[in-house]
Parts: sequence; C-alpha cells; structure tokens
Amino acid sequence: MGRASAKDYSPSSSSSSSSPSLVDSSKHKNHPQNHPQTSLSFASSVCRNSSCNSGCSSSTRRGRIRRGDLNTDLRLGLSIVSPDAQKDNWIDLSVSKQREQRQDWPPIKSLLRTTLAVAGKADTNVNNVHNNNSDRRRASLFVKVYMEGVPIGRKLDLLALHNYDDLISTLAHMFATSIICPAGDRADHAKSLHVLTYEDREGDWMMVGDVPWEMFMTTVKRLKITRADRC
Amino acid sequence: MNYFPDEVIEHVFDFVTSNKDRNTISLVCKSWYRIEKFSRQRVFIGNCYAISPERLIGRFPGVKSLTLKGKPHFADFNLVPHDWGGFVYPWIEALARSRVNLEELRMKRMVVTDDALELISRAFVNFKTLVLVSCEGFTTDGLAAIAANCRFLRELDLQENEVEDHRGQWLNCFPESCTSLVSLNFACLKGDINLAALERLVARSPNLKSLKLSRAVPLDTLQKILVRAPQLVDLGVGSFVHDPESETYSKLLTAIEKCKSMRSLSGFLEVAAYCLPAIYPICSSLTSLNLSYAPGIPGSELTKLIRQCRKLQRLWILDCIGDKGLGVVASSCKDLQELRVFPSDPYGVGNAAVTEEGLVAISKGCPKLNSLLYFCQQMTNAALQTVAQNCPNFIRFRLCILDPTKPDSSTDQPLDEGFGAIVQSCKGLRRLSLSGLLTDQVFSFIGKFAEQLEMLSIAFAGNSDKGMLYVLTGCKKIRKLEIRDCPFGNIALLTDVGKYETMRSLWMSSCDVTLGGCKTLAKKMPRLNVEIINENEEMEECIDDRQKVEKMYLYRTLVGPRKDAPEHVWTL
Repeated sequence: MGRASAKDYSPSSSSSSSSPSLVDSSKHKNHPQNHPQTSLSFASSVCRNSSCNSGCSSSTRRGRIRRGDLNTDLRLGLSIVSPDAQKDNWIDLSVSKQREQRQDWPPIKSLLRTTLAVAGKADTNVNNVHNNNSDRRRASLFVKVYMEGVPIGRKLDLLALHNYDDLISTLAHMFATSIICPAGDRADHAKSLHVLTYEDREGDWMMVGDVPWEMFMTTVKRLKITRADRC
Repeated sequence: MNYFPDEVIEHVFDFVTSNKDRNTISLVCKSWYRIEKFSRQRVFIGNCYAISPERLIGRFPGVKSLTLKGKPHFADFNLVPHDWGGFVYPWIEALARSRVNLEELRMKRMVVTDDALELISRAFVNFKTLVLVSCEGFTTDGLAAIAANCRFLRELDLQENEVEDHRGQWLNCFPESCTSLVSLNFACLKGDINLAALERLVARSPNLKSLKLSRAVPLDTLQKILVRAPQLVDLGVGSFVHDPESETYSKLLTAIEKCKSMRSLSGFLEVAAYCLPAIYPICSSLTSLNLSYAPGIPGSELTKLIRQCRKLQRLWILDCIGDKGLGVVASSCKDLQELRVFPSDPYGVGNAAVTEEGLVAISKGCPKLNSLLYFCQQMTNAALQTVAQNCPNFIRFRLCILDPTKPDSSTDQPLDEGFGAIVQSCKGLRRLSLSGLLTDQVFSFIGKFAEQLEMLSIAFAGNSDKGMLYVLTGCKKIRKLEIRDCPFGNIALLTDVGKYETMRSLWMSSCDVTLGGCKTLAKKMPRLNVEIINENEEMEECIDDRQKVEKMYLYRTLVGPRKDAPEHVWTL
C-alpha cells in the first residue's frame, strides 16, 4: 500500500468534538468527483460557511480539512480533500491522477485482489476474448497470411474475429477466393480451390478447423492458403 | 444434587456440544463447574488478546481442540499494519509446556511462524487437524515439519494464507506410513509442487475426502489423482487447461464420471473454458461451487455450467456472470442458501457487471437464501424492499456497492429505506454490511429492528454521532462493530462506555474520535484495551488530545494491555 494513502488518513491538527452535518453528495453540481480542479475553492468556501458555526476555535481555521495539510496534498499531487472528508476522501482518491489501485476498497481479500489484478493484465489469456470486460484491454493478435503462389502476404487481426466462419469469410474477401474449412460442409470441397492451413507453436502445419476456436487462437502463429489438390 | 457419580454426569455433558450451553452448565454449581471444566475439549477464543494461554490452560486443562482468532476483520482489507500482532507462538509454547494433549488447532488472521509449526509438530503427539485461514508468517518449511512429524495428521487446510514458498519438497515429507489424511488444502501456495509425491500421497490416503490443489498442479496430474481417489467429496482444481482432443482429456472424463461422491468444487485457478464440459457429469450432484478465483471463465460459460447444478446450496462466483446469469441461477438453483458475488473488475467504472436486477431475480427464484455477499454497481431501495419481502430468512446480508456513497440509482435518495426493510423483515439477521449513500436514519432502523444482530460493518455512512448511538443503544446482541470513514466522534464513543464490555471489539478508522476521547474511555474502562494505530510519523511530534485518531481498535480483555504491540500501536 503506497504511503500516499496513509498520508490521506493522517489526522490533522484541526478538530471538533461534534460532527457537523455533511453536504449531501447527491447534489452533483459541486461534487468533487465532477470538478476536481474546483474542489479547492469549494473546500475553502464551505469551510467559511457551514461547519464553522459549531463553535470551532481558531485552531480549526482550516475547518473540515482534517486529512492532512492542504499544501502538502498539493505538493504530493493528490486530489484536493473537501470538507465532506469521509465521503469525498474516497471520491478524491478514486479520481486521483494515478488511478492508484486502492488496497482497502472494495473490501476483498488480498489474495482475490492479486488474482484479479494478474488476470486483468494477462493478455495471453485467450479465454477472455468473449468476455465483455476485457475487450477494452485487449490489443490485437496479428498473424501473417500467405496465399500459395503470391509472394506478398497480408496481415490479419485474429482478435477482431469471433469464429472460423468469420475467419474464412474475411480471408475469402481478402484474397478473392473461396476457401474450404475442413470443419465445414464436405460438400463444398469440390467447389473450392484452396484450403486453409496454419503453423502452430510447435512448427507443424495443420488444417484449420479441427480444434475449438479458442484453442486455435492460442497456438496459431501464421496462416497459409494452399491449393486444394496439395492436401 | 449429585445423585450420580461424576463419570455419569460427564457422560451426560458429552451430549452438550455448544460452548454457550456448556458455559451455562458450569454456572449451576461447583461440582458441575468442576466436571465440566475437566471434560471441556473444544475451546473457541475469538480474540487472542482477551485471555492468556495460561488462563486457558488453567480453566480447561483438557482442551483438545482450540480455535484462535487474531487480527481484527478489517486486516483482510489492508487496514491493519502487518506487524500489529496476533502471534501464535506464545500459545503453542504454553500449551506444550503444560503438556496439553492438543489435537486440533484452527487459526484465523494470526501470525504463524515456522517455529510455531515445528513446535506443534513435535509437542503434540496426537495432533490431527491444522486449519489456517488468512494467516501469514510461515513458509513451506513449516509445512514440511507438520508433514514429517504429525503421525496421525488428518487435516491440513490452508485457506487464503500468505505463505512464502521455498519450493521445498514439503509434500515429500509425509512419511510412507502416513495414511490418515482426510483433508488436504494447499490451493493458496504459489510455488511448484512435487507432482509425483502428491500422486503417491493421494494413493496411500484411502480416507481422503477433501483435496484442494494449487495452480501448479496440471490437468494430467489431476486426472491421475482422480483415478486414485474417486471417493473425493470436495475438490479444488488447480490448473485446468489441456487439449480436449488428447488422450489425457478423455481419461479425465472417465475419471470424473467415477467420482460419484463429489459434492463440492472450487479452484480452477487456471482454466480454459473449453475444458469445462469435462465436469458437466458431476454438476447435477454438486451442492457447493466456488469459482471466485477463476476469472478465466467468461460469463456465458459460467451460465452454461450453473444451469446444470440444480442442487446447488452454496455458490461463490465473480460478477462477470452478469444480471442475466444470475437470472439463470435463480431459475436453476432452487435450493440455494448462500450466494457470494465478487467483483471481477474491482476498479472498473461503469462496467455494469451486476446490479439490483440480478439480486431481485435471485430473491424471487431462491426462497431459501439466507446468506449473501454481493458486490454490485448500483442498488435501489425498491429492489432491497423486494428482496426483504422475498427472503425473510437472511442470517448474513452483506452488500457492497463499488462506489460506496452511491445513492439509489433510480431515485437518487439514500438507501436508508432499503436497508431498513431488510432489518425489519429478516428477524434472524446476525450479520450486516452496509454501503451506498446512507444517513443516520438507516442506523435508527437498525437499532430498532435488528434485534439479533451480532456483527455490523459500516463504511462511508451516517451524518452524526446519533447514527452510531442508535446502534449502540438498540442492538442488544451486537458483538463486533467495525466502522470506517464515518462522522462518528467522541460523543458517540463515550455515551455508553459499559456497552463495550458486552462486545468482543470495536473498530473505528478515519472517523472523528479524538485522542482525548480515547484516553477518557481507556481511563473509565480498565478492562478494555483501547489501541491506537498510527502509521503516520507526524503524530509523534504533536500529541494533541484534540487530534483525530487514524485507527482505533478496542476490545474487552481479562489480561490487561498486551506486551507485544509494535511501536506505532499504543494501548492507552
């Protein structure tokens, strides 16, 4: 856990024995989450108005800014803390520039937290291809595609496709030919000129379509469209 | 009074198993106190600093089974410094010295060193059961000692511990003569495992019923293990990735089909969704399924799987199942009693993973639901009211909205009414966690209606001291209260100081209590330990009573302030 967060939880020199009512954070207009830059002015203005009429001494000049020295916060580049210290403390930390992963919220055990963090980063975990949450994090999986007899190849992002049918139709389009997929209908065999093969991790050339799509994605290195009579 | 000899009375007492009842028995008369004292075998110590090992041994010299809990609950969420305390070694040492015939030791949130494990393994010849939950401080060397020396070991259960893995051969340390294992759980270990040793161990453990593997155990080893142990009832899968066309995979299918006793599945720490169909054959008899550590399973696969688990009573999953997936759970798992939905993307914003819709669907489809932990994007009062109506049997209700101050997503109102409905309807509620935008009103409801409440967790809630006071005055049975980031101050803390002796503990962090308030409390109540935790160096220079304390943890104790606290933890 970074020391930054510990700093935020440090008690300030100001204090009051009673707790003033908090600004309802459902009032979105001045909600620090929406206006991180203006929250400083918000802080000082509210300080002057609301809680200070509860009889605070001069030592509470900084009012409700109880989470550490404001100047220190600025120097450390942390978000400004507003008078609604408890609720906004969380909000400010969550919108802080580094988007620093808090270790104490949400309340899940450390082991689960690290498991999820690792899973989030793992871009070779192909099972997440169809998982909504990871699409945004996924980069791409470009593989080279050659057609027999054509010296210049193409590149294709497999992650943009969802299944073998997608792959076949995309390639057919790219190379202007009809390709047979062995997993497909055998009746098409006669009509097609080409067959799709791929080189797997072990360096072997295999027919595309035998294994599940997700598994294919983990082993494919490059693709080749070969003449049907060669296979 | 004593018409029967002591042995007969003792035999009668054997039928009384609940510690609460046994405590009552001891109050009847001196004779019963004495008989009960020497025959008490199971002792539960909810706070290791509330009593000392010497006093335990003096009180119950015949103790065979001990449960110890150390750090406060919020230590799970990194709110307690690592070196706060909870050391088990002094306990082991004292028990060993007094020649207690310890057979079972269960610990939660304690610091367990290799020395402690070694001492356990050598000092207690009949040691059978070791269960460590959320503990730390030990390595696989300590496990090796347990394996090597505990001749009658039945249970070695490591749940979510932080273990330093020396990649030693601890599994090899189980002697060939060790055939008594019933339960082995090493899922939380991170290092490599001697697979051959594991297979041999399973092969010579005919009584093995529960086995939870770590990620380092691949599918082909799993297959071999299942062939040896088709009697398994509870399985935690390590790695589950393999070519579904391979011979190994088809052998696995055969092996799984023979596991007719399998009732509980967990793990899948590394998983390829296309391998999951292998477990379909056992789904229909599963009563417990924990996939919360398997982020590799997409929601669609989760749904396909759960649809077949019609006998499920306990389900722990990640929220990538979605509201629709929860709908499937609701229509398939009519016997569901416990549901936990964890956040798969804890820092994600706006990924509407699960919402109030999923929860409402569950409440409609699963009337037996009594225990809930639900991490969601949003909640509404209406939904909570519906849930309260559909499921009045909640014992545990823990709701966590990922944005902790979020109001009702359809009305923008606080969620007071919703939680109010829960506490009013669920008369047996023992544990409650709140979140969302909440005012003092919700605490007024809790104080008024939550008569059986024993544990309450509050974060970012309330407006004033009144909130906390409602709880302290209203909840007669409250034992553990943990509060963070709430505007509760000295008035709330000091109004009823006697209350804290009726509770196990109180945690308050980032609230408005001051050092002065805590000092006052400590002075008034000598049988409480009031601990202040300060990780901020600044505090050293200006120790002002008016300063707010970062973290305060107080608990009742019979043995005064502890002597093992680190520098930044002060007992007032």
